[in-house]
Amino acid sequence: MTLHHYLILAALLFCIGLMGAFTRRNAIVVLFSVEIMLNAANLNLIAFWRYGDNPALQHGPLFTLFAIAVAAAEVAVGLALVIAVYRHFRSVDLEVMDTLKEE
Amino acid sequence: MSEQIAFWILSAIAVLGALVAVRKRNLIHGVFALMIFFAALSGLFLLLLAEFIAAVQILVYIGAVGILLLFAIMLTERVAGDDGRRMTSRGWFWGLVVAAAVFVVLLLPAIQQWPTPEVTQAPDPSVEELGHKLMNPYVMTLEVLALLLTAALIGAVTAAQGMRKPKEEGSPE
Repeated sequence: MTLHHYLILAALLFCIGLMGAFTRRNAIVVLFSVEIMLNAANLNLIAFWRYGDNPALQHGPLFTLFAIAVAAAEVAVGLALVIAVYRHFRSVDLEVMDTLKEE
Repeated sequence: MSEQIAFWILSAIAVLGALVAVRKRNLIHGVFALMIFFAALSGLFLLLLAEFIAAVQILVYIGAVGILLLFAIMLTERVAGDDGRRMTSRGWFWGLVVAAAVFVVLLLPAIQQWPTPEVTQAPDPSVEELGHKLMNPYVMTLEVLALLLTAALIGAVTAAQGMRKPKEEGSPE
């Protein structure tokens, strides 16, 4: 296994997440997609650490750990926002939420 | 050899899980596919000798994020998803095009120097060094992160609670 295998896998996963975020209408599915993209980025960080110059410094796992913690905070706030928006619009459909759009 | 077999199996599971999670109409099934994706990614982290991150991945993503997503789905719309309505957004075609374009752009630098040498030195897989690093140079980051998590917790509760109606004068409670 070389670094490229992991990089290509992470690029593929990132683009699957991007596709989901761009093409789905449900706000919760868009959150899934953002999670998939974040995980692909974490895979990249760990792969670069493993195949990098000085793995003893543990920079890869440390950075990934912080990224995972921030991602967890992001999911909690994001879902709370989805629930608040649902209470207002009675829907999680992203195309219903167009109050700011000028008609 | 066995490492290669594990890599291919895990990456196939990860890609399939991500695709199913993104394309499935039923959101509950989608969350379970997402959990399979997280588990496969945890296996890949183990393969890269980041065992602590693999454990954190299972604890945080499968244990917390997955359950949180399940709750959010059950608190909002019909569990079976947007049945009968269009599943994709209006600009889905351009979304696909942009995703494919980003994939090509990400792939180009990787392909240009295709044959890379195998790994030179294996990192020490012990968690001890990670803990020391977390305490000595990165303790401030850890504290800021704890503050961030607390703020996110309070913010999430406040946002999900919604606006309270002001209480009338003289009413009990």
